[in-house]
Amino acid sequence: MRLSISHETAYHYDDEVRASIQYLRLTPHDSERQHVLSWHLDLPKPVRAQVDAFGNILHVLTLEGPHDHIVISARGQVDIDEQREAEHEDGSPLPYRRFTRLTEADDALISFARRHGAKGDRAGLIALMNALGDHILYSPGATEIDTTAAQAFAGAKGVCQDHAHTFIACARSLGVPARFAAGYLFTPGSEQLECHAWAEAWLEGAWYSFDVTHRLARPERHLKIAVGLDYLDACPVRGVRRGGGFAQMHAKVVVTPTVLDQ
Amino acid sequence: MLSRTASDLYWMSRYLERAENMARMLDVSYSLSMMPQDGRDGLDEIAMPLLITGTLEDYLGRHGQMHAERMLDFFALAADNPVSIYSCLGAARASAHAVRGRITADMWENINASWLEIRGIAQQGLNRYGMSRFCEWLKERSHLFRGATYGTIMRNDAFRFIRLGTFIERADNTLRLLDARYEMMSIKALDSVDDESAWSYYQWSALLRALSSFEAYTEVYRDAPAARPVAELLLLRADVPRSLRACTDEINRILSVLPGINGRPAQRRVAEMDARLRYTGIDEILEAGLHEWLNAFIASIRELGAAIHTSYLEVV
Amino acid sequence: MSQIFFDEMYDPNGQVRPHYREFARWLAETPEETLAQRRREADLLFHRAGITFTLYGDEQGTERLIPFDIIPRSIPASEWWVVEKGCIQRVKALNLFLADLYHDQRIIKAGVIPADQVLANEQYQLAMQGLDLHRGIYSHISGVDLVRDGDGTFYVLEDNLRTPSGVSYMLEDRKMMMRLFPELFSAQRVLPIDHYPNLLLDTLKSSSPLDNPSVVVMTPGRFNSAYFEHAFLAREMGVELVEGADMFVRDDKVFMRTTDGPQPVDVIYRRLDDAFLDPLAFNPDSMLGVPGLLSAYRAGNVVLANAIGTGVADDKSVYPFVTDMIRFYLDEEPILKNVPTWQCRKPEELSHVLAHLPELVVKETQGSGGYGMLVGPAATREEIDTFRARLKAKPHAYIAQPTLSLSTCPTFVESGIAPRHIDLRPFVLSGRETRVVPGGLTRVALREGSLVVNSSQGGGTKDTWVVED
Repeated sequence: MRLSISHETAYHYDDEVRASIQYLRLTPHDSERQHVLSWHLDLPKPVRAQVDAFGNILHVLTLEGPHDHIVISARGQVDIDEQREAEHEDGSPLPYRRFTRLTEADDALISFARRHGAKGDRAGLIALMNALGDHILYSPGATEIDTTAAQAFAGAKGVCQDHAHTFIACARSLGVPARFAAGYLFTPGSEQLECHAWAEAWLEGAWYSFDVTHRLARPERHLKIAVGLDYLDACPVRGVRRGGGFAQMHAKVVVTPTVLDQ
Repeated sequence: MLSRTASDLYWMSRYLERAENMARMLDVSYSLSMMPQDGRDGLDEIAMPLLITGTLEDYLGRHGQMHAERMLDFFALAADNPVSIYSCLGAARASAHAVRGRITADMWENINASWLEIRGIAQQGLNRYGMSRFCEWLKERSHLFRGATYGTIMRNDAFRFIRLGTFIERADNTLRLLDARYEMMSIKALDSVDDESAWSYYQWSALLRALSSFEAYTEVYRDAPAARPVAELLLLRADVPRSLRACTDEINRILSVLPGINGRPAQRRVAEMDARLRYTGIDEILEAGLHEWLNAFIASIRELGAAIHTSYLEVV
Repeated sequence: MSQIFFDEMYDPNGQVRPHYREFARWLAETPEETLAQRRREADLLFHRAGITFTLYGDEQGTERLIPFDIIPRSIPASEWWVVEKGCIQRVKALNLFLADLYHDQRIIKAGVIPADQVLANEQYQLAMQGLDLHRGIYSHISGVDLVRDGDGTFYVLEDNLRTPSGVSYMLEDRKMMMRLFPELFSAQRVLPIDHYPNLLLDTLKSSSPLDNPSVVVMTPGRFNSAYFEHAFLAREMGVELVEGADMFVRDDKVFMRTTDGPQPVDVIYRRLDDAFLDPLAFNPDSMLGVPGLLSAYRAGNVVLANAIGTGVADDKSVYPFVTDMIRFYLDEEPILKNVPTWQCRKPEELSHVLAHLPELVVKETQGSGGYGMLVGPAATREEIDTFRARLKAKPHAYIAQPTLSLSTCPTFVESGIAPRHIDLRPFVLSGRETRVVPGGLTRVALREGSLVVNSSQGGGTKDTWVVED
């Protein structure tokens, strides 16, 4: 499947910003599942691409001098191998076994994982994925970006990010390395791509995907942009600014996919 | 130098200078309040330092009415008064603490010891320690700190920002003190107390003593203090260390040697002020109205302070 | 009690050891009032100089003096050279270990250390993987905590490779002794230590590939417990003391805000933890760091000393492997001994620990500062029971060691002079070469019988002398 993507993010500030810096993870890289044919990132000024701690492509945008808006746009074409289930990668998966603040497993998550995840094999994790999908109702607005796995689980409501975090917390509590994946999801017939998050777990020497929100154990409709220990490592934009007062940040996302048959 | 460091050095010396000036103010008011007051209790004298520093309302809000002992304590040692001498010394010490690495051991030990001592004095209470003794003590600590500064720190930008803070604060203080005393005299003048009276003599000489300029005055004018010569001495004479002219002179010199081009707005401002004082006679000032002139200059000093801030102390 | 502790000053027969003879003579000759008066003077001088620390958890942020004891801890030079060699050997191996861990991981492949022990450790930083550091040095400034057992043998209690503190007390204690008792230093040759700031600056400069790099000391701010030390070191080295807000990153380079506009920063001697360095990469709530610092660091445009991710090597769960590291990387036998350690994550060792709690010291692998530990012989039954429950719940978070009979040194206490337990922290600097100034910081547990020397738990300090034989 070939996807043609165009993604524009515009930030408008009520007050002038004196200086800002942003970590941007908006560029996919080649892997066994996806091949990037072309990709352009338009930023207010040219920025060198670097590879971050997790192997993601990172742009660090620093802007000085007063500005009241920032427009960032990404567009490109990517081929996705829909048949491939898992991806191999160099490097040990063990660092993905540690917990983070957002993925700490409390007693409830630990016992939930034991009950549904069994031994932490693929079948067990698929069962866990489905059980989590049943338990945490997809409901936008019920959680915040800094809601922890334990909080989302206790509230039994959340969005894809919470699904991913709870899955990761459970998998790690079973001793399985797991990580957060962020990117786009294509829904057939909708002509729309959406920003999405899911989890990956390390089984039999490869990373397998687990999309709790859609109960998908195969990432056939997923374009992966970044991975990390949790949302904070993999999120598309993370920044701070000086000035701007208590300004509101407005983000506008326009995504137009084109699906071409090969 | 780091902008934050420069800011802490600048405010360290500003607060210390402020504490010293307040002690000087207090000393004078306290002694004047002891004088025969034709049936008055001297309360308005004691209220004067509060009036000058704009804290009288705050005091009345907290304590209801004028009460000599309470006013003195509020002004000198109250920890809950953010502009008491105690609080100023605390702020100076906190700034010094923040730049502990940029001042000499002698300077730090000096200001830290002052802080520890004033806490002891506050515990004893002003009454037991003694009012005049307290004012003397504070002036002495300030002299000591200045001595330690002059005697031990390198003549670099740290030294310059310390001096900058001192002279901005001092210029502002001289203007305010002169203005307040002059206002008091004008009110009295309506009661037809002439310039030759003993009362007037005490008022002007008290002001001169508060600014350590009494000796300078007698040497220059060899006459009893009066409005015109006192104003001339305190505003226009470059050789009197606490005069306005001496302060702007110093500020001008310091700003002209600070590195970089950030400082141009501040440099231009002080050069203009310097020229204004250099080429003005006291009669021109009195004709314009001393009170109006002083207040315009207080505003100029405030703007200069703001320009120094944006130029050096909070560089983005 | 019979002599089960090694006393630094007296041998088991009560005779003054040779390297303490000069001091003992002086002590006997000096009138008590003189001593008392000098001790008061020392207190006053420390107070005036603001040589204080702030206790964590003390809401008013009260500054306290670390008690200073005027009886020095003395080590004969011949003995010291062995300790010094041992510390250098250890830190060299630890640096090689960190370089290996973040690159080829030979030590894991060779089966010397289990992979999950280090890679799944919270202190292991993915951001350091494959990153090449100048000279391959990770821990530029290391503190090695040593204690002496009953027979006088030195043991390494732990390594400190993150932001070891205390060196300012080492320097100030010496200054104080020389000011109060100059006569002591003319009677015998005590090896000098006051060149430490020079060595530190040289170490920091040599950590950068640049010829004359701009060095700064980075502090979390004046409310940090070790702020005095940060300011002290910046001043002694003649470099800027900066906070996070004084710096910014522009196009992968670090600058500081100065009165003369932005100035480049090349080497940051940082005295705050990894998690606070860059709010965009680590703890997002950190107001103490510099946004973008990690990107500048990974781009090779700034040196952090110590490097990010050194905590994985001084973690108490990795400690038992340090002697093996020395053999593995240096092909040498360790000069300094490790304290035997039970790793509670291993079931058979856990059951031993649980059976012997009243005799053991149990520590959190991630803990520091003497918090979260159990000293078995000094604990009540209830404390032991509480700890037993914690151990069972989270065995991997603890290690246990036999209770060492820390050596003692005569110390001024309320009742006069009495023996108190001490430790020793030499500071190891790694740059072009690996160096140690003679001695280190001696901490003393002022409470009778106490084995906890941390300043936050009522410990004091002593000047540490290396005396030529």
